[in-house]
Amino acid sequence: MALLGQYAMNGAMLGMMYALVAVGFTLFFGVLDVIQFSHGDVVAAGAFAGLLAYAALSFFGVHAPGVLLLAVILAAALATIVVGVLVARFLVLPIKGAPQLNVLLVTLMMGTVVRECIRLFFPNGSQPQRFPALLPSSGWNLGAFYLRFDNVILLTCGGLLIAATHLLITRTRLGLAIRAVAQDEETARTMGIDFKRVVLVTFALGSVLAAFAGVMDGLYYNEVFFGMGLLLGVIGFAAAILGGLGNLYGAIVGGFLFAALQTVGAVALPFASAYKDVFAFGVVIVLMAVRPTGLIGERVSERV
Amino acid sequence: MTALLSCRALTRRFGGLVALDRLDLEVERGTVLGLIGPNGSGKTTFFNVLTGIFPASGGEIGFDGAAITDLAPQQVYRIGIARTFQRSRLCLPLSIFDNLMVGNHRHLRHDLWFNLVRRKALRRQIGEQFAAARELLRIFDPPLAERMLEPAGRIPMIDRRRVEVCRALISRPKLLLLDEPSAGMTHDETLRLMDDILKVQQQIGSLTIILIEHEMSVIERITSRCVVLNYGKKIAEGAYAQVAQDAQVKQAYLGLE
Amino acid sequence: MKAAAVAAVATAFAWLLLRAESQTSISLLLLLAVAAGVAAARLRFRLSGPSVLAFAAVAVLALLLREDDFSLLLLTRILIVVVACLGLNVQFGYAGVVNFAGASFFGVGGYTAAILAPRLPHLLVLLLGGAAAALVGSILILPVLRTRGHYAALVTIAFALLFRTFLEVNDTLGGPQGLKLPELVIGPFHFNDPVFDASFYLRYVALGLVLAALALGVVQRLERSWIGVALDAVRLDEIAAASFGLSIARWKIAAFTIGNFITGVAGALSAFMIGFIAPNNYAFSESLILVSILLLGGIGNPWGLALASAIVIVLPEKLQTIQEYRFLIFAAVVILILLFRPAGLLPRPLRRLKT
Repeated sequence: MALLGQYAMNGAMLGMMYALVAVGFTLFFGVLDVIQFSHGDVVAAGAFAGLLAYAALSFFGVHAPGVLLLAVILAAALATIVVGVLVARFLVLPIKGAPQLNVLLVTLMMGTVVRECIRLFFPNGSQPQRFPALLPSSGWNLGAFYLRFDNVILLTCGGLLIAATHLLITRTRLGLAIRAVAQDEETARTMGIDFKRVVLVTFALGSVLAAFAGVMDGLYYNEVFFGMGLLLGVIGFAAAILGGLGNLYGAIVGGFLFAALQTVGAVALPFASAYKDVFAFGVVIVLMAVRPTGLIGERVSERV
Repeated sequence: MTALLSCRALTRRFGGLVALDRLDLEVERGTVLGLIGPNGSGKTTFFNVLTGIFPASGGEIGFDGAAITDLAPQQVYRIGIARTFQRSRLCLPLSIFDNLMVGNHRHLRHDLWFNLVRRKALRRQIGEQFAAARELLRIFDPPLAERMLEPAGRIPMIDRRRVEVCRALISRPKLLLLDEPSAGMTHDETLRLMDDILKVQQQIGSLTIILIEHEMSVIERITSRCVVLNYGKKIAEGAYAQVAQDAQVKQAYLGLE
Repeated sequence: MKAAAVAAVATAFAWLLLRAESQTSISLLLLLAVAAGVAAARLRFRLSGPSVLAFAAVAVLALLLREDDFSLLLLTRILIVVVACLGLNVQFGYAGVVNFAGASFFGVGGYTAAILAPRLPHLLVLLLGGAAAALVGSILILPVLRTRGHYAALVTIAFALLFRTFLEVNDTLGGPQGLKLPELVIGPFHFNDPVFDASFYLRYVALGLVLAALALGVVQRLERSWIGVALDAVRLDEIAAASFGLSIARWKIAAFTIGNFITGVAGALSAFMIGFIAPNNYAFSESLILVSILLLGGIGNPWGLALASAIVIVLPEKLQTIQEYRFLIFAAVVILILLFRPAGLLPRPLRRLKT
């Protein structure tokens, strides 16, 4: 029973991280019909920027966890927004008309650039870095299961962030513009929507979600690694596809579904802990074979 | 004589939209059928269902005495139906000759042994195909036939249309589907292209054509019979002069009450 | 004549570059090469000649360097990478099947060689390395076929990450420490014995040349045939291709399998030459390097990828300052190439089936 609770909590945390990343993928695909393959590494950039802010503030003698946490999140968000917007502005938008493959390659290589920059230029960046515990580690004893506050806080915040994104997309003028562009770029332009601005804002928005996913990852595992974005990127992208690219709810469902599969797999399979990541990537491959266009279905718009 | 192509109650739905609605259609051998109707009336969808790109939601297609409703595009091509596309779908980085050879796929040998080892035989086949392709292209435009080793992306629109039509013709299909060949061309160019196609038709003899076209003068000039579609339904059929007078057709086109 | 002169100059240049020791002279030589390249591009210099010339040039270069172990090792590594990239080129350049797991299939070849080398004749082991890569590739065929563009990319990336992780946690394959290979023996030739007074690497260069010549022959014949036309059509327009009877699945499977086979053979040879293999050699970043070589050289052009392989391998070894930064630099260069010269350094020439 206790173990079950532990697994459920772990699954929920993973699911929230995947969902945050997947929503980014799906937002970008919505407005531009492109895959931002460096998105996973943007997550890592966020986590490391947060770490940097923490180190800087600690150096100047700031030790209040609340202040530190806020600084970490802000720094992470700032870093991801900068990277995300730069990618959109200088890499994706200029080659929008080129074959989809080129956009994919450019962003994939950009991911490598980000990853390598962290490895090379972050102090001792090729080694995993300890991420500070900034949330209370106490919790409630629910029978045999120990429910930690920090996990609850992270899940709640993640949920709120996704809910806020949803409200932004469905209830605001900006969201309307994003949806209009996603629906039909040409029409949106003729309606007087500043296409470029909407794209940049969307990339900023998705990148903020990535920042939170990165910080969440760091706080949950107490460790970050320059290559962490690869796993999160691949799984986040797979989750977005699973939910149907361009579909916000689909991405969230996909994220949690993926985490559930992974958690169940870890329980059900022997030697599961060593082969945890092997299993995760295997699931990605199998899912792509079984449901190549996702459970909900991507809109297909090829004219013949 | 039985019809070459006959469709019974052919239907195609996209979600709630009925793009083809219980269409009955017959084409006699050796004739040119015009398929007309306003934009979005289901003409191109008909081609896509017929060639297997979209599966039919209902109904049957018979071709040359066999049921072909559920065939894949590859199989449809192999039994002798070839098409052009509304928007040019040439492989622009490839040479004109390569593009034509894509159209002649079913007459070429594709096994590894032949292509990698028996190079002499391969070169001989290339030589034969090159001569045949030049012959065909010459009917349309003799200068173009001398430029077959240039990339298709470097020739003007009208020549691309010609190459596309030749790509469809080179495999000697029984049925040729032309999807708005006039798009992007002037009136005179279109008429010339049509005359050339008719020339080829006479040479081959048994070629049957279905033509989607907005230019009514083209339809009037070369089709023996027309089918008018509106909202996926057949609303009229007969000789052009006859359907042009049809009240329903006028209403569909002009929105007259 | 022109081609022979260029081959001679290129050989001399390569010899100078490989023998150069000081960072200044290396930099100067590289600047010279860049200047020559720019000038050739400005003058629209077109080169054509028999492929034999290129192989002869490499052979002469190897003989000139006969006592220089390190340079000969570099030369062999280039040849092996050329073979591996020729495999990727069939997939990516012709059929348009993206494969971001090139290093993994290279690794399948290597691990197969390590396992089979003590038991079977080594020439057979090299071929089995390719066969194993093709076989492992077949488990990816279904997802790669059923998906397009970015999905296929995702599948192969997932496989690349999976493969590396799998090697690390699997104890029978040596875990992170990897496996050792015995000396390569083909017929009477023991590859680790010196060739008279010269370096034992000469034999590896020779074998590398043979393999590269075979792979190039297959790939070039493939391109200049009906199969080449079919693969290009599948890449450029699946709907048009299908409408003219081409089976998209058949051609993609063919290209994927042939490509993986070639890459696997290269991997097996590489494993023999290094003598031991470990998961680190087959990381995702290595796959990205292989793709970078294709894009840098000019996708679809075997000579382009040969040039790019030489650049990508020699540069970090000779300019030590960039060794540590090579992944970063190559990724950045590929981005620039894709933005400003998507056809690569040596764009693929138009196929003229009839001459």
